[in-house]
Amino acid sequence: MLETIPGVVVAAVIAAALLAYYRLRSGRPARSFADGGTASVTVGLTGTEKPAGLLRWFTTVDHKDIGLLYILFGTAAALWGATDAMMIRTELLVPETAIWNVETYNAVFTTHGFTMLFFFVTPVFTGIANYVLPLLLGADDLAFPRINAIAFWLLPPSLLLVRGGLITDVMGMVLGVLPLDVSALEALEPVGMGWTMYTPLSVEMANPQISVALLGLHLSGVATTMAAINFIVTVLTERPDDLGWDRLDIFSWNILVTSGLILLAFPLLGSTLIMLLLDRNFGTTFFAIEGGGPMLWQHLFWFFGHPEVYILVLPAFGLISLILPKFCGRRLFGFRFIVYSTIAIGVMSFGVWAHHMFATGMDPRLRASFMAVSLAIAIPSAIKEFNWIATMWNGRLRLDAPLICIIGGLSTFVVGGITGVFLAAVPVDLVLHDTHYVVGHFHLIVVGVIPLAMIAASYYWFPLITGRMYNQRLARVQSLLLVVGSFVTFLPLLVLGYEGMPRRYGVYPAEFITLNQIASLGALVLGVSVVLWLVNMVQSARVGPVVRDADVWNLKETGQFTREWQWFEERLEERRDGSTRPESSPERTRAGEDTDSDSDSDSDSGSD
Amino acid sequence: MGSAVDAEGEPNAQRGREHGHGDGHDGDGGHDPPAPDDWPRGFGEASWWPVVTAVGIAGLYFGVALVLLARGEDPLVGRRLPPVVLVGGTAVFLAGLYGWTYHGFVRSYRERAEPAVGDAVDLHWGMVLFLATDVMTFSAGFVYYFFVRTGSWPPGELPPLLSSLVLVNTAVLIASSVTLHVAHEGIRDGHRRRFLALLGLTVLLGLVFVGGQLLEYYELLVVEGTGVTDVFGSAFFALTGLHGLHVGLGVALLSIVFVRALAGQFSAERHTAVSTVSMYWHFVDLVWVILVATLYVGSVA
Repeated sequence: MLETIPGVVVAAVIAAALLAYYRLRSGRPARSFADGGTASVTVGLTGTEKPAGLLRWFTTVDHKDIGLLYILFGTAAALWGATDAMMIRTELLVPETAIWNVETYNAVFTTHGFTMLFFFVTPVFTGIANYVLPLLLGADDLAFPRINAIAFWLLPPSLLLVRGGLITDVMGMVLGVLPLDVSALEALEPVGMGWTMYTPLSVEMANPQISVALLGLHLSGVATTMAAINFIVTVLTERPDDLGWDRLDIFSWNILVTSGLILLAFPLLGSTLIMLLLDRNFGTTFFAIEGGGPMLWQHLFWFFGHPEVYILVLPAFGLISLILPKFCGRRLFGFRFIVYSTIAIGVMSFGVWAHHMFATGMDPRLRASFMAVSLAIAIPSAIKEFNWIATMWNGRLRLDAPLICIIGGLSTFVVGGITGVFLAAVPVDLVLHDTHYVVGHFHLIVVGVIPLAMIAASYYWFPLITGRMYNQRLARVQSLLLVVGSFVTFLPLLVLGYEGMPRRYGVYPAEFITLNQIASLGALVLGVSVVLWLVNMVQSARVGPVVRDADVWNLKETGQFTREWQWFEERLEERRDGSTRPESSPERTRAGEDTDSDSDSDSDSGSD
Repeated sequence: MGSAVDAEGEPNAQRGREHGHGDGHDGDGGHDPPAPDDWPRGFGEASWWPVVTAVGIAGLYFGVALVLLARGEDPLVGRRLPPVVLVGGTAVFLAGLYGWTYHGFVRSYRERAEPAVGDAVDLHWGMVLFLATDVMTFSAGFVYYFFVRTGSWPPGELPPLLSSLVLVNTAVLIASSVTLHVAHEGIRDGHRRRFLALLGLTVLLGLVFVGGQLLEYYELLVVEGTGVTDVFGSAFFALTGLHGLHVGLGVALLSIVFVRALAGQFSAERHTAVSTVSMYWHFVDLVWVILVATLYVGSVA
């Protein structure tokens, strides 16, 4: 490794030069962009509270900036994980391994799982919560702003550690052209033991990258736990005195329960990962046959793993519950029962883990009790679903992109949820375990509900975050494509599972080819949809029409103009007035560099 | 290897000591910029410390990874690089922690207004929640132990665990909890001398415990030749080792509180750090009692 240092130095110099270039470019803030765009009110440059340019993003302790960093990081990870997914679906186009080899296929489904679960979903929801939770509460910031920033900055290195095998291989190829010894880089291969890391496979696989990936997962767990503690303390202590528990908004409730699950699930995973690391490297017996055995790994892993499922989906439920009523012109139906069902899911999620282990030959009495709890957890989920439908009943539905996403999410959740009830039944699970039925079941939720809720949120709050409007027609098309793509991709997997196609194999019998090709076609539709979303976001953030009325969604007429929009309205008014109003002094510089025609006199960015 | 476990403990424990923004539910008093003293200077919402701290922690993890890659007959990396990254990462991490806590709590401690009663509530909650995560951190090891303990027992020859050393160590740790509690009562009632004396005694007792633990490890590993990685050794050394790291961190935190106390930074009205570190110390004490009951007594009972 020491021999490769010259290469590292070269890379560092190049990186520093790039950094300096962008620093130079962004050091002098542009008043307007070449394409006619202007700086926005909310992301716009700031005067005294924050430095300008790149420095601002590295040093920020503002929840809104950190939220954006989280969202950007999570989106980048999502694109990486989606690349893995497209590789999986490409390989499965034909029964034999025509495109990648078996090892690559194993690595790709493993890293797809890690990347999506640990680096896409949770960071994006943490980012959204970072941005809007304090605004919804009416708090200044999160309780611990610096912890918030640390928790974010731990994520990029942990992603590097987890995905190291690929990065080192690429580095090895690049540096290999130089007269350097790159054998160390080439020895680290992408991990291929499956995201559940079952022992003894994960102990015995020789690939040294597995140990590195375990460290990365541990680090990401530390970061996630820090963020969770921050959210809980914020909800508990940073609410204004007039905001009681009875008036807490539904999204904050969901984030609170999610953070509670993280608090208990992730530290246990952390210890379990370290135990596996010790087994791999130092010969301890935690998961060896003579010690705890493979069953101990499965118990510990799924004690984390099942709450993790709800850690992923509860924030999505929160977003759906928050946004849906805004486009129905009605209040959320059964608010209180949705809160109760969220708490019930949170509590019960710790009592269902062994339903992942029905096929291991565990004690039948234990199986029966876990089956009972797993079936019962469908009840609070159904309460949510029915309340959402009741919210839409007799409402004035406005089929804007966020509502399309949400209605699509509600329908995929019906299929994805009910297939879960089937899997919770022991006799059915024994037949369907480890088939594509399982893959179809959970992907209908993790693709059909979670990203749809995120995208609904991205459209709903886009004006608030960027001060601009996105292209609504493109957004509607994109939302529809995403819903259709989810069904086309994952319904065939349910059928394939019934027919007995096992998961985690790159090769399959030729009779399954048609349904697999339909699923791959669906994945292509999903990919197109993601690209359309990305184009819409980037282009609208640059040149979308500037928002002048904070009530973008006509929320005032139905009395749903909530705190975060009121905050946005204040920002807009400040910019229009061009003056600094004392009661909102902290944000007065937010308007910053501003070249809107109606606020050319606005020069407060330099005056204070 | 302990460093990876340790790294989880430290930033979390420091959470309880986060910046002065804690006194900030100012619904009507305007915005309180969270980082007024931090570098870079002059910006209320900018601080270098989070990214420095995170880079340090990342260095620590990369260092551990390199240490693992440097092991074995055919090491992938040279022997010099891993310790450099590990020690460098730890140094940057500690520097980040110091800068953060110094700018957050200490630098303008004197100028800041006396906080109203109950203002440190978020710091207390932070510690409570950290301890909840810590329960789960210990749980995995306990679950392993219970798993093997309920199987065929003993799994091999057990080392002689129940000695006078364990009794003395347990007594020392319980005594330190008592002295810390009385010290805390002392500062709450304004008895500064009693507070200082008993806090100092607590630090001393913590050090004695660490010494006793090291002595026990010496006896077991060198004199008795106990296996570290056999079925019982895995449970024993993982759990006592993790606990020992917690005690070590506790002694460090208590020492910081002691130094700040000597500098006169605590009073009957302001003693948040004393409270949060007390909570941590009592928790570590409780874990030890459970350890003695299950691992020492429970392995032969």
